Amino acid sequence: MDFTRVWLPYLYLYGVGGLFFFASLALVARAGAFSPADRRWFRVLWLGFLWVAGLHAAGNLAALWL
Amino acid sequence: MSAAALALAGPQHGGDPAAAASAAAQAAAAAGSSPVFWAIVLGYFALVLGFGGYFARWNRTTTDFFFGGRRFAWWLITMSIVATGVGSHSFLKYSSKGFEHGFSSTMTYMNDWFFMPLFMFGWLPIIYFMRVRSIPEYFERRFNRPVRILATISLLLYMLGYIGIGFLTMAKTIQPVLADTLGWDLMTIIWVVAAVAGIYITFGGQTAVIFTDLLQGFILLFAGLALFLLGLGWFGGLGAFWDALPADFKLPLAAFNDDPGFNFVGIFWQDAVAGSIGFLFINQGLIMRFLACRSVDEGRKAAAFNVLFMMPISAIAVGCAGWIGRGMVTTGDLPATTAPDSVFTLVTAMLTSKAGFGFFVAAVTAALMSTVDTLINAVAAVFINDVYRLIRPGRSDRHYLRAAMLVSAGATVLGVGAAWVFTHYESVYEAHGAFHSTLTPPLVTAILLGIFWRRFTTAGAVATFVLGAAAIVAGRLWPTTLIAPFSHGIPAVGDHPYSYIGALYNLVACFGAAVVVSLFTRRRPDERTEGLTIWTLDAARRAFKGGEPNDRPGARLPVHWRIEPALPAGTVQVDREAQAGLAADPGDLVYLRDRRWWLGGLRSVHARLHAEPHAEGGVVLVAPDVAADGHFLPGRMLTAEKEI
Repeated sequence: MDFTRVWLPYLYLYGVGGLFFFASLALVARAGAFSPADRRWFRVLWLGFLWVAGLHAAGNLAALWL
Repeated sequence: MSAAALALAGPQHGGDPAAAASAAAQAAAAAGSSPVFWAIVLGYFALVLGFGGYFARWNRTTTDFFFGGRRFAWWLITMSIVATGVGSHSFLKYSSKGFEHGFSSTMTYMNDWFFMPLFMFGWLPIIYFMRVRSIPEYFERRFNRPVRILATISLLLYMLGYIGIGFLTMAKTIQPVLADTLGWDLMTIIWVVAAVAGIYITFGGQTAVIFTDLLQGFILLFAGLALFLLGLGWFGGLGAFWDALPADFKLPLAAFNDDPGFNFVGIFWQDAVAGSIGFLFINQGLIMRFLACRSVDEGRKAAAFNVLFMMPISAIAVGCAGWIGRGMVTTGDLPATTAPDSVFTLVTAMLTSKAGFGFFVAAVTAALMSTVDTLINAVAAVFINDVYRLIRPGRSDRHYLRAAMLVSAGATVLGVGAAWVFTHYESVYEAHGAFHSTLTPPLVTAILLGIFWRRFTTAGAVATFVLGAAAIVAGRLWPTTLIAPFSHGIPAVGDHPYSYIGALYNLVACFGAAVVVSLFTRRRPDERTEGLTIWTLDAARRAFKGGEPNDRPGARLPVHWRIEPALPAGTVQVDREAQAGLAADPGDLVYLRDRRWWLGGLRSVHARLHAEPHAEGGVVLVAPDVAADGHFLPGRMLTAEKEI
């Protein structure tokens, strides 16, 4: 399988999707809706982003190597 | 060959495709003439209805009926949401795409995290603290009544489309079963399904819906994962299953833009953007679930756990029949020409006994029936409350109830009409994608800008619906002129080109109309929109409490309780030591629940702290109505904590 078939959708998903994610995080922070009570949720949000990105990366690598 | 015999026979490598097709169809059709199959199906429906009826008795007020009384724990709501995500049209739809494209059928279940900050810290606190009970209500409070009416029309079309998808999916699920027995065509089955939906009784209220969905969520996940294990057993293990799949089918994301019927970039804009916002922000069923949570924080937990863990598991449960079917094509046990929309039913029939097949078909159709029934009720509620009461105000409850029944019947017929339109698409997935990418952009645009952009004006909101709808219709009429510039190289073929990427054009058109008109018109004064945008969430919290929020961290305390008839309604009284432990002041909202965590808040209540502490240590005194609303049991200890 060529590089474009495997990684172009991934890069688009986490490039454009990541842009939406971090822009929306910045927006709620700028509005003061989110900034101790929020610290745990901040961790959940960015770890969640890494989790879904990791699942898709693992899926791609499994398809290539296994 | 019976289904059971086929399951015992295992893979027949290199089998004759015609024989394989016949065996799969026979397995499904044989079940349709089996009394055991129908006994299981009818028994399951009776069980689900009885379960809902039991929990209907927990309703004491209309708040209970519609919103479950804002009392439930995050894990209970999470499982209830799973049934919404898995139980609708998912098994047939994603098995179909799994059969055609492999693991990339999971895409739509794995792309909902991008807008989570906006949901957790924007929309969820607004609907919870401002007690927004419906999308049209939000639009009236944020803008004015004409915008509410425009939003109502959009929402009604959206729900009618979903009813049509539900009817079509149910009909396609049972069509292979009835093929030999009755010989009905698809439209006949759709009409029969619609008639059954009309008489399928919904027992009372949101608590019943939450618990029925909780049960169905567990069963559907169990059924889907059991089917996956049965499939692996059929192949003789995970390794053999993996080897039976073509290399391209093992990738988790579809090809970027090759296939007009299933391409990554189109589905990104249709589902990850318009669909995710639609699911989280404008799905009335989901809004009511989150309003049933005991706090905003519990709602956040439910949303996060659902997206991060339950959705990936659900993606396997709903799509695995398609993957197994594709493996069966490799081993010659299913013909490559199998209709994708029938794969779920055929594979299930081949892997299970008649009784097992009855359970699977019953689980999927009962969940679909619940979903469609909820939508029909929602259409009636929205039409009566947002349209009919404005035209005919001041009539009796009985009059409105009769009107609601007529609207329900009308919604059912219109749903059949929508199902007929959707039969002209290649598959349920494409029909759903096209309908979703057409109807959600105006609502998504209006709600996002309404929440996050203070400069968004009433005229801008009207333009979103009116000019946005005109642009969407123009895009449908001249796709190669208007949508092609957004197509990312997706080829325009067939009667419905750009089914998915049309969502990007529609979003750009709606956002463009909203922003341009807003910049040239006057915005509402800030005090008219307090608490309805993320810039004024403190006002929303003040409105919810009816005073200044108390954010001092407090402890959870175990307490005994007894009724104090002298207390004012809706209040509780604690001793001085407990008040200090809770870090609570008179007038604060406190939450009391039965100490048994596994009840999930079923026996719990919010109440206001009475002005003066009492002298009886370790006991909370509760007003009689608080004890009744909380369904507290005498002698059972409670946990008390400050809410806000």
